[in-house]
Amino acid sequence: MTTAPAAVSTALQLNDVRKVYTMGDGSQVVALDHATLTLGSDEMVALVGPSGSGKTTLCSIAGGILSATEGTIVVGGEDISNHNAKELTKFRQDRVGFVFQSVNLVPFLNARENLLVVDELGKRTGAPARARADQLLEELGLADRAKNLPSQLSGGQRQRVAIGRALMNDPALVLFDEPTSALDTKLGEQVMELIQGEMKSRGIAAIVVTHDERITHYCDRSVHIVDGRLEA
Amino acid sequence: MFLAFKEMARAKVRFALLIAAIALLVFLILFQQSLQNGLITGFIGAIREQNAPVLVYSVDGQRVLQGSVITPDMEADILAAPGTGETGPIGQGTFTGLPSGNADGETFDTTLIGYELGPDGDGIGAPTTVVEGRLPTADDEGVVSDADVALGYDIDDTVTLLPGGKEITIVGVAENAQLNVSPTLFVSYDTYLSAVKSVNPDAGTPLPNVLGVIPADGFTPDEAVASINEQSLELDALTKQDAATETPGVAQVQQSFNIIFLLYGLVVPCVTGLFFLIVTFQKANSLTLLRAIGAPAGRLVSSLLIQVVVIIGVGLLIGTLLYYPVSQQALGGIALQFETAAVIFWSVLLLSLGVLSSLVAARRVLKIDPIEATTGQGVGS
Amino acid sequence: MKLALKELRRRPGRFATATVILTLIAILLMFLGGLLDGLIASSTGAIRAQNADAIVYSDTAQASFVRSRIDPELRAQVEAVEGVTEVGGIGNVQLGARVPGNGPRDLASVALFGYELAPDGVPDAPPYGQAWADDSIKADGVEEGMIIEVGPARTPIAIIGFVADTNFNGQSSLWASPDTWRDTLSANRPDAQLGPDVFQALIVRGDGANLPDAIDAATGGATDSYSVDGAVAAIPGVTEQQGTFNQIIGVTVAIALVVIGLFFALLTVERTSLYGVLKALGAKSSTIFAGLVAQAVVVTAIAAFVAGTLVILLDLLLPPGSIPLLITPSRIILSVVLLLVAAVLGCSFSLRRVLRIDPASAIGTTS
Repeated sequence: MTTAPAAVSTALQLNDVRKVYTMGDGSQVVALDHATLTLGSDEMVALVGPSGSGKTTLCSIAGGILSATEGTIVVGGEDISNHNAKELTKFRQDRVGFVFQSVNLVPFLNARENLLVVDELGKRTGAPARARADQLLEELGLADRAKNLPSQLSGGQRQRVAIGRALMNDPALVLFDEPTSALDTKLGEQVMELIQGEMKSRGIAAIVVTHDERITHYCDRSVHIVDGRLEA
Repeated sequence: MFLAFKEMARAKVRFALLIAAIALLVFLILFQQSLQNGLITGFIGAIREQNAPVLVYSVDGQRVLQGSVITPDMEADILAAPGTGETGPIGQGTFTGLPSGNADGETFDTTLIGYELGPDGDGIGAPTTVVEGRLPTADDEGVVSDADVALGYDIDDTVTLLPGGKEITIVGVAENAQLNVSPTLFVSYDTYLSAVKSVNPDAGTPLPNVLGVIPADGFTPDEAVASINEQSLELDALTKQDAATETPGVAQVQQSFNIIFLLYGLVVPCVTGLFFLIVTFQKANSLTLLRAIGAPAGRLVSSLLIQVVVIIGVGLLIGTLLYYPVSQQALGGIALQFETAAVIFWSVLLLSLGVLSSLVAARRVLKIDPIEATTGQGVGS
Repeated sequence: MKLALKELRRRPGRFATATVILTLIAILLMFLGGLLDGLIASSTGAIRAQNADAIVYSDTAQASFVRSRIDPELRAQVEAVEGVTEVGGIGNVQLGARVPGNGPRDLASVALFGYELAPDGVPDAPPYGQAWADDSIKADGVEEGMIIEVGPARTPIAIIGFVADTNFNGQSSLWASPDTWRDTLSANRPDAQLGPDVFQALIVRGDGANLPDAIDAATGGATDSYSVDGAVAAIPGVTEQQGTFNQIIGVTVAIALVVIGLFFALLTVERTSLYGVLKALGAKSSTIFAGLVAQAVVVTAIAAFVAGTLVILLDLLLPPGSIPLLITPSRIILSVVLLLVAAVLGCSFSLRRVLRIDPASAIGTTS
């Protein structure tokens, strides 16, 4: 298994990032205001805030899904502040993993194929990717579910497939968007234990976006965000 | 109603594409309907519109005027049949004609149909649909079909036959009276004979192609036909309608078009049904929500049906509007008409089929359980 | 693209109805095309088969055999034209033929040709009273060696063999010596009989850039000459049929385009969130769109294949003579190509939507 590039010590560096939307009537909405955040290369951070606080915006910018209006963003040593859409696409293929709130597995692909999607869309390495997928499934306890479609998996199993997909391209950073919001307390704890275990054992940095204070203790620290502003 | 229209306004491209597909299909169906009718009328309109209830061909003619020849022996046989009342000879020939009304001096294949005029031009074989002018009452006068007027065959124009230069003056116009999709002139029998001679001096006097027969008193046309055919195996008597529909080629045209209409007609309800089924699946969540907040199921279904009727209705309208100008054209000698009956028929048929096809989607709508609004399942899963 | 094809394989149901509709449209295209080809072939076979550099009618004939006469003087003028190497007379008469074994009112339609220069695929003119027959006449029960009686005068013609694709005006052609033809003509159509050595038209072979024009110029306009293609086009109805049918075919292809566009536009709407996820994972818009086009092409190809099979089956099952259908590989291939082009173009309606899907939509459905 490959490790993250040793020379990079921070997984994420946001400096003075601002995101401003201009509405149809000319008014402006500031979704993110002067956000500065640094993540160590294997640090797990909980990003906590109420709905509309801007946590999704921050996550999106960190993940290269959204461009910032101002500020610098460096992920795994790569400065993506001024990347155009094409460069961001490539960046997302190679350096970032996502676990979405509504899981969002491809419904007509089985578990193994859902993991292989990333390789399909990007580098197309073929056999090495398949080997990695099989290994990840094994490590996530899904080896016997490899050929099942999402509709045939439980909620927790689907969550694990999504995590496996996020790990496929050996990312510098994994973004978890509300991973426990649809789960009951027990299942939520199980999922967070899994996430914590996987991230730590591989030494991968993670941001866990959540409004659920019950799970923040699984992370190294919490960062609160309200109305687009980060509080220490 | 409100929902139905709001949804269509929000998804303009999709609904526009559906309307476009239906409009094009409707246009093609109606256009081909006109084509079929125009083709058949152009082929045998003259036979249908002449006044003899029974026509007797020679069997060798294979129900084609120009191939048939009635010898004196055959004529005797026909006269001897109990079902035969009055008879009149009909001769047909195709000539190269130069109509004086044509500005470019073009020549056209021109069909002459010669019949014994009788006292007022209304002899056996005369056209029955004269709408302008009059029937011929002397030699070298002719009645032309309405489709030919545009080519230069109008009242008071003369048609010069080539070679030979024989001239015929047009005195009347009859509706739907073409033969073989070419300009057709009804003339006196003697005019026809002299035309044949003028073009080919080597020719002998031609025998009549067919005999027009008025059934004897007490005989229906079908009975007259049977009694004449009994006389001899050389005779092929037919009622006027049968003569028209059994002309070689007509049945083929009808069969071909029937297959075409069937296929096009199937495509419309399939496309409509598919569209509304998919759309229903896509808005599953909002439908479930509406049911949860108290919208009656019947309201949702009627909203769907309103959309179907509006879409097909607009498609029919646009298709018919596209069809109208095309239906006024002459297509290579075939005069097209705006077939109102066809428009009504297809409108009713396609609307019914469209509504039927959307019942599949309606069924899905009725199956929605409002409780699913809370669990987040919805129709689509 | 692999993803898109996987979806097709795993979820065939959702594409099934669209495939059915496209199959119907494909059948229509092939049927219309086959109808056109059949109509044209059976009207023009005899002319197309001619091995000629010019076909010469008389000037007022309007390219119609029946109204054309070439007498020996006119023929001599044509023979004298520079570049002309061979001249042969040709004429025909259309009659009903009585076939042994058929009912007394059940005649075969034939066009009897008298010829001097043999068309392609037809041997030299047989002895008096004999003729080669187009194999379409077999549908009327005619066999080699049979003697059929032609016309009201029951002129006997012995069929000594068969040739292919030489029909004229939708009737089966018979190919005989000029004398056989001329005698049959005068016996059965006395009003159209022609003197000895008079033909209806001439088949001319020669060199020279534009032989038809050269001949007409040399005869001072007494003749109306055509190349073989020109003579085919001059047969009444041919150009009109082609024009009309091609227009109908064109509109039908447009319908296919709209239907595909519609179906895939709907599909794209439904997959917006999936595409959002894929884009978040790093899929390029071009990859997603290429997958869409791949699906459209596969669906269309399947529809075309099924349609082709059904149409060929229909052609085999149709009783000969009922509908003038001619199914050729080139027509089927043309229909398939048109449909595939329509498929690719139809997808373009979805392009804008695919481009506009925002990967950010994948994150955070609530916040």
